[in-house]
Amino acid sequence: MPEILTVRNITKSFGGLTAVHDLSFHIRKGETVGLIGPNGAGKTTLVNLLCGSLYADRGEVEMEGKLITRIPPHKRCHLGLSRTYQIPRPFPELTALMSVVTSALCGKDRVNRGLDDAAAEATHYLEFVGLFSKRNILARDLTFFELRMLELARALATSPKLLFVDEVMAGLNPGEAIKAVHLIARAKEEFGLTIFWIEHVMAVLMEAAERIIAIHFGEKIAEGTPAEIANNDMVIEAYLGSGWKKGTCN
Amino acid sequence: MVDVEIRRDRIILRYKGKKWDWILEPRYWRNTLLWTAGLLVFPILCYFISPILLNTVVNANLYAAIAIPLALMTLGTGRINFGPNFFIGVGGYTAALLSIAYGWGPLKTFPFAVLMSLLSALVFSPLVIVARGLYYVLLTLLLPLVFMEITFIYTDTFKGDVGLAGIQLLLNTGMVKVNFLLTAYISMILMLLYLWVINKVIKSRYGLIMATINDGEEVAHGIGVNINKVKILAFVFAAGMIGVAGWFYAHYFGTFAGITYLPLNFMIKILLVIFIGGRAQIFGCVVGGYFIAFLEMILVVTLGEIQPVLFPVILAVLLFTLPEGLFGLYRRRRYREYLPTLHVRR
Repeated sequence: MPEILTVRNITKSFGGLTAVHDLSFHIRKGETVGLIGPNGAGKTTLVNLLCGSLYADRGEVEMEGKLITRIPPHKRCHLGLSRTYQIPRPFPELTALMSVVTSALCGKDRVNRGLDDAAAEATHYLEFVGLFSKRNILARDLTFFELRMLELARALATSPKLLFVDEVMAGLNPGEAIKAVHLIARAKEEFGLTIFWIEHVMAVLMEAAERIIAIHFGEKIAEGTPAEIANNDMVIEAYLGSGWKKGTCN
Repeated sequence: MVDVEIRRDRIILRYKGKKWDWILEPRYWRNTLLWTAGLLVFPILCYFISPILLNTVVNANLYAAIAIPLALMTLGTGRINFGPNFFIGVGGYTAALLSIAYGWGPLKTFPFAVLMSLLSALVFSPLVIVARGLYYVLLTLLLPLVFMEITFIYTDTFKGDVGLAGIQLLLNTGMVKVNFLLTAYISMILMLLYLWVINKVIKSRYGLIMATINDGEEVAHGIGVNINKVKILAFVFAAGMIGVAGWFYAHYFGTFAGITYLPLNFMIKILLVIFIGGRAQIFGCVVGGYFIAFLEMILVVTLGEIQPVLFPVILAVLLFTLPEGLFGLYRRRRYREYLPTLHVRR
């Protein structure tokens, strides 16, 4: 499979703190790649760098052969990059339908796209995430799970090739979490997506991801299949501390 | 070429792979037509009751004509501009200086007044990108005040203290009362034109995009909205429209003094038009404009010297008691969805 995204030696510092340090990896078309790391490992900073919310101090990001390191987020979105946020960030004063309509209008360029055409397409995505019946409700009145689903619909409506899913499990109960995981898997199949999934809950990625990248203090410590990552000493140490392996930890 | 398709309920324009729908909804026109007819009859009534009222009508129309683009600017940039009167100053001084220097009439000075307002807005448009929150408020607040200082410093040119006089009048039919009546109608047409254009913009895809910027700039950027372009366009476009009000003031009175329009009290009046009418409700701006202009007039006539104290007090009370503004009272009773909604027949 050809590579859809290539990251080379990317580095980002905030003052004296290096959040991402010399990180390199690639994502192939059609893959589901997981990104794990303990709190403060630099996962969300990495997504911000890839989506253009932040610019890298050093290194390169290439998407389908095009260098995108310095281009703004809206252009990256037109190229097929989309994301969901760790804490849902809806447009509170817009209805669910209108939030998704904006994505359909402003995402990938399409010929002859009017407001009504975008609204018709948005309904498809709302139906897909199960929010069609709530289409005329303001986003600020939706529940947490519904906001997560709205984020997903909004991201899908931009017609992405590569979707960044940022900690979708955070704040969901087990039933909702299972629904969300199944929905992302369905979205991948139905819309032909490549998924880069940042997650805290290891069990989810063990099932969903084909390949996992583990980072700690902004540096890559391991990369491999879920089974390899689960048995990797450095990953265990990063998550559980060195005491766990020595058997001194209770 | 532009491809035009006319359907029963809409006109569709296609150009280079882009498509714009102009939806015609005659079933929603009744209230608009009634309100417009009511407004158009009002100056005639004033003419017969007391022609002095016509000046208040002109003021009310101009307050609304400043507040409506300001509402668009607020929506499109996601920030509240506290210095819209800067553009009134730019438009007014351009018209006044050109008219005095070259003896030009209002039609000749109009394009220059608009152009100067647009250019000055373009020069200061980076503010909408680099400044936000309190910094944006302070910076925009400073613009008219600095401009006023400049009119005092270069008083030979701007006549900062006494104002420029000898500007050609907007109309001169030879009859003062008729002049006032026609001016009231011109100001009303200007206001209604602004209302119609900006209502169209807000209800279109561009209005929706502006709403996303207002709600969450970074998120909007992430879903493909070129936020800087939209913010600058909204700022410049609205500033040009506000500049026209300055041009109108200059040619209406035949004099133009920065000290009348650039200080804080005029700006507060405009912001109150927006808040009293209904926050960023463009129809509310008309209600607010008329309310403030007539309240001011009544207080000046009845209270005389104490008016500057009581006016803000009354407005502050109204702000607390009517959080949704006067137009909000109407909206609460007659709610209508202004954004498209999908209804499913079950």
